[in-house]
Amino acid sequence: MQDALVELIVQAILEAQSNTNKPAQVTPTQEHRAPQPAQVTSARIGVGCAGTRLRTDTYLQFRADHAAARDAVYNDVPAELLQQLNLPEFATQCQSRDEFLTRPDLGRVFSEQTGNAIAAHNASPCDVLVYAADGLSSKAIAANLENILPVITESLTQQGLSCGKPFFVKYGRVASMEQVAQLTGAKVVCVLIGERPGLGSAESMSAYMAYAPTPGMPEARRTVVSNIYSGGLNAVEAGAYVAEVLGRMHREKKSGVELNEG
Amino acid sequence: MNLTTTLHGKSFTFRDVKAVLACANEEKSGDQLAGVAAQSSLERVAAKQVLSDLLVSDLREHPIVPYEQDDVTRIIQDGVDEQVYQEIRNWSMAELRHFLLDTTSTEDMIKRVCTGLTSEVVAGVCKLMGNLDLVYAASKLRVPATCNTTIGLRGTYSTRLQPNHTTDSVPGVTASLLEGLSYGCGDALLGLNPVNDSVGTMTEILKRFEQVKQEYAIPTQTCVLAHIKTQIEALKQGAPMDMIFQSIAGSQKGNEAFGFTTQTIEEAQALLKSHGTSRGPNVMYFETGQGSELSSDAHYGADQVTMEARCYGYAKAFAPFMVNTVVGFIGPEYLYDSRQVIRAGLEDHFMGKLSGVPMGCDCCYTNHMQADQNDVENLALLLAASGVNFAIGVPAGDDIMLNYQTNAYHDAAAIREVLGLKPIAEFDAWLEKMGITRDGKLTELAGKPELIFGR
Amino acid sequence: MANTLLSVGIDIGTSTTQVIFSTLTLEDLGGRFTAPNIAITKKEVIYRGAIHETPLLNHSLIDTQALCALVEGEFRQAGLAIGATDTGAVIITGESARRENAAAVLRQLSGFAGEFVVATAGPHLESRIAGQGSGAQAYAQEHGLRVVNFDIGGGTTNVAVFDCGKLGATACYDIGGRLLKFTPQGKLTYLSEHAATIAQAAGLRLRVSDTPSLADLRALAEAMARQLEVNVQALLTPNSVLLFSGGVADCIYRTGHEVFAYNDFGVLLGQAVRNSRLFGYQVLAPQETIRATVMGAGSYTTTLSGSTIGYTRADLFPLKNLPVFALSPQQEQDAFDHGRAESVAQALCDFVQQTDANCVAIAFQGKPSPGWQELKRLAQALQHAASHAQLAPDVPWVFLAQHDIGKALGLAMTPHAQGRAVITLDGIDARQPDCYLDIGKPLMNGQVVPVVIKTLLFG
Repeated sequence: MQDALVELIVQAILEAQSNTNKPAQVTPTQEHRAPQPAQVTSARIGVGCAGTRLRTDTYLQFRADHAAARDAVYNDVPAELLQQLNLPEFATQCQSRDEFLTRPDLGRVFSEQTGNAIAAHNASPCDVLVYAADGLSSKAIAANLENILPVITESLTQQGLSCGKPFFVKYGRVASMEQVAQLTGAKVVCVLIGERPGLGSAESMSAYMAYAPTPGMPEARRTVVSNIYSGGLNAVEAGAYVAEVLGRMHREKKSGVELNEG
Repeated sequence: MNLTTTLHGKSFTFRDVKAVLACANEEKSGDQLAGVAAQSSLERVAAKQVLSDLLVSDLREHPIVPYEQDDVTRIIQDGVDEQVYQEIRNWSMAELRHFLLDTTSTEDMIKRVCTGLTSEVVAGVCKLMGNLDLVYAASKLRVPATCNTTIGLRGTYSTRLQPNHTTDSVPGVTASLLEGLSYGCGDALLGLNPVNDSVGTMTEILKRFEQVKQEYAIPTQTCVLAHIKTQIEALKQGAPMDMIFQSIAGSQKGNEAFGFTTQTIEEAQALLKSHGTSRGPNVMYFETGQGSELSSDAHYGADQVTMEARCYGYAKAFAPFMVNTVVGFIGPEYLYDSRQVIRAGLEDHFMGKLSGVPMGCDCCYTNHMQADQNDVENLALLLAASGVNFAIGVPAGDDIMLNYQTNAYHDAAAIREVLGLKPIAEFDAWLEKMGITRDGKLTELAGKPELIFGR
Repeated sequence: MANTLLSVGIDIGTSTTQVIFSTLTLEDLGGRFTAPNIAITKKEVIYRGAIHETPLLNHSLIDTQALCALVEGEFRQAGLAIGATDTGAVIITGESARRENAAAVLRQLSGFAGEFVVATAGPHLESRIAGQGSGAQAYAQEHGLRVVNFDIGGGTTNVAVFDCGKLGATACYDIGGRLLKFTPQGKLTYLSEHAATIAQAAGLRLRVSDTPSLADLRALAEAMARQLEVNVQALLTPNSVLLFSGGVADCIYRTGHEVFAYNDFGVLLGQAVRNSRLFGYQVLAPQETIRATVMGAGSYTTTLSGSTIGYTRADLFPLKNLPVFALSPQQEQDAFDHGRAESVAQALCDFVQQTDANCVAIAFQGKPSPGWQELKRLAQALQHAASHAQLAPDVPWVFLAQHDIGKALGLAMTPHAQGRAVITLDGIDARQPDCYLDIGKPLMNGQVVPVVIKTLLFG
């Protein structure tokens, strides 16, 4: 076929289309570049190599991320933040970060004196008590607490539940909630706690919740919402969800696996 | 049986064999947490001294959990070659140690003696070994295993390529997979830890693994490390599966805490025989790690090294293709720092070899431990020198899903070059054919999967 | 707890009408340790209807009665009661959409096809769902590639670009297999107005009742294929993968058809596309050819909201045909920063008047991780704007965020709502021109709602 004729016909079609308010609609959305594999994973791929080893930039980035994760574990939650949020600090029986890391049993109990202080802080029993603990990442607390706490309080208030006065536990493990419940008489307890950091982010926090927790109770009695941070479930949305779960626990008088089973 | 000794003018008496074994252990935070560790450095050495005079029979006759109570004990005890045992039952632990280290003890001689040992004996002799002893003795032994290919032959160093992803995204996993292959990783296994323990997820990933394996004719095997029951279900529904994985413990109670029984493993094995995609005969993949029994209160007052040895004794009964000690994953309450992690890695590898299982090691650490990447590089090099079957490879050492660090994809090539080791022969030939290596060294294509695998 | 939805897809195309039924499986992928993350994890076609000729009264009117009978027949064949479907789409595509009674047909069909079945049409949506039904999107997602789907039907060609599974550009051209019809001997029996224009402009003398030369027809087909090439050039990268679906696709992938086997232009057009430069790219076979659009309509039109959302009462749903009012980025920024919404309030008032709707949906992007104070400011601004719109007191306020803030925003809105019902959804990007929304009843313990976004609506 003669190309000239084809061109002529193409022209005709183009003209016909422009004249008949045709749905020749092109919505240019993205730049016309082939997608890169890096878009499909956050793994450190496509980093190249120096001989058989990592390139210097890759190596230093890795070291920097590890350093940040270590700092999240070993540093304390800033005192200014606790002041700003008006949270008193109570420490478990661990005497140091090191002891906290190697003695999970001590990270869940308080001395008699601290216990009395916690009880005095929440002198009258409440429906729901929410508190924070550093756990394995102080950064997680620093990044999320300010936004999640007021959302939970707002929601619990809207649900007509009485809220205990929040506080902060240093060297705290999840199971510190058992003694906290006993000390305060709160029906439902929630601890917001820093998760073990990965290299990707050190800001991930979890909310552990239980109805009337008691020492030695099975882990299955706990409900957990993890992955709370800007790259997972953001703090405000997490707060709204967590508060709803706490409300349900209070209504149904159960938590953990039992709560899921309806 | 003498449980008393005097050291530096101080007398030490131990309650029983279990206490000797526990106190003789090198320092481990997990033993301290369990309250079974030696109270002082001197007591530790005293226990070693007592242990060195105990006989093989003393340890065999005092299993950590009674025979009647525990099927791990039963499997270990029933697996002992009684004829060999009769020959060595009166060896002291010191004598056993000397035999293992003797330059005239050949691989065959040692392997024969090992068939007469229970896990408590294996753990006992381990506690009398220094780190170089562990490397030296283990390096005499090779425990190859065959699934589609054979790994663990002398002169080889293999890797499990671990392309984990935060959401199990198939394209994301594929990208990490191709990257790892482009560095020469994956001759032991292409193996993913899924986020979602579901038949659907694991089947999708397995299909992709199989597709890549077929398309590029890669001589290796694949696995998705879901719970054993999920894997059995996937296999029944027709997922392409070369092997089945499960984490195991050194007591029946520990295994029950992991949600399976010996019958479950037997079912998996039988099913793989009829429905699996590999030739075998080795089709099981087990993972272990010191301290897991204590975390489920299934340690029966024993130390974590002895419980770990029992894992290998149990694993042996199922002729696995791989046993992987995930040595630094459990956290500082069990292995406090890099010193303890490195020691544990060498112990586990040694004990696995003596137990006759094909050992690999995930040389790893979490961010709340006193360890860093230098330490896992050290451990990998030590284990490669010891003749470990495989280690792990992840992108630049960072596992984005399990939130821990292990060896980088890059490490295998470096270790092979330093120690004169190779991938398994078929995989080596494949790497040369694909242009990833030339004469055993990485080429300029390494790390450029887009050039190697097209598009 | 509803874990599956029964979905119907009805496609009334230029030349054919098809019906399929599928089940959509909902699963919580969140696991036991995170907030819910509910997704449609499986789409299974449980019944594929026959490929019917679209019944016409004449060239400008669809035979509504015959069409209804046809669809009812398919429900019977599938063993399903009319109205048993939970969701789905009736779409009218190609030249059918331009028939005079298209709107009436859609309304009638959606009326008896179930509680939450949408009637819809529009080239953007057609392109998207054809690309989903053909498997182009899934392939792009799986392989991290750009995949371009060409759905070549009787009257139109719908093009959709998927980058790693994400919809990019869409386009629609008047190129199709039924623009010309013939007798088995090659006598021209029908020439669409559009095809006639092209032929005339090209100096080709095509007239109904004549038997045109094969050379002329090939020239026309080749030109149409070139037309496609020229138009889509900007969308193709060297690595792009191409898929062809629609009725003509069968004549592209398989050769050896008699020229007038289907009494139309499809075979010639298919051959021309096959010989075009489009085949210089990597071309893959689709999962579906002629059924791609109806598959897409049945299985891909329904999406889910985010899994943490807010609504005052479950009996507010379903909501149908909500026109969407979108905030500009600047308006959104003002709301977040200052709690201000004067310009939004005015624009919203105008919008409500223009659309004459009693209920509207207010869409915005939101922020991936907002602070509580700024979220409260946003809520205050939205409340201010919504009050100005003066909707009837029994009508809920409906807000749609793209980012995951639905439940928290609901919480922030409550003190401002003065007893009015409020719905705050997220995970929905409805900020497109002329966009309408259907929202179904909450599913999976009330954690999610099914949503259909439509780009063009009759009536």
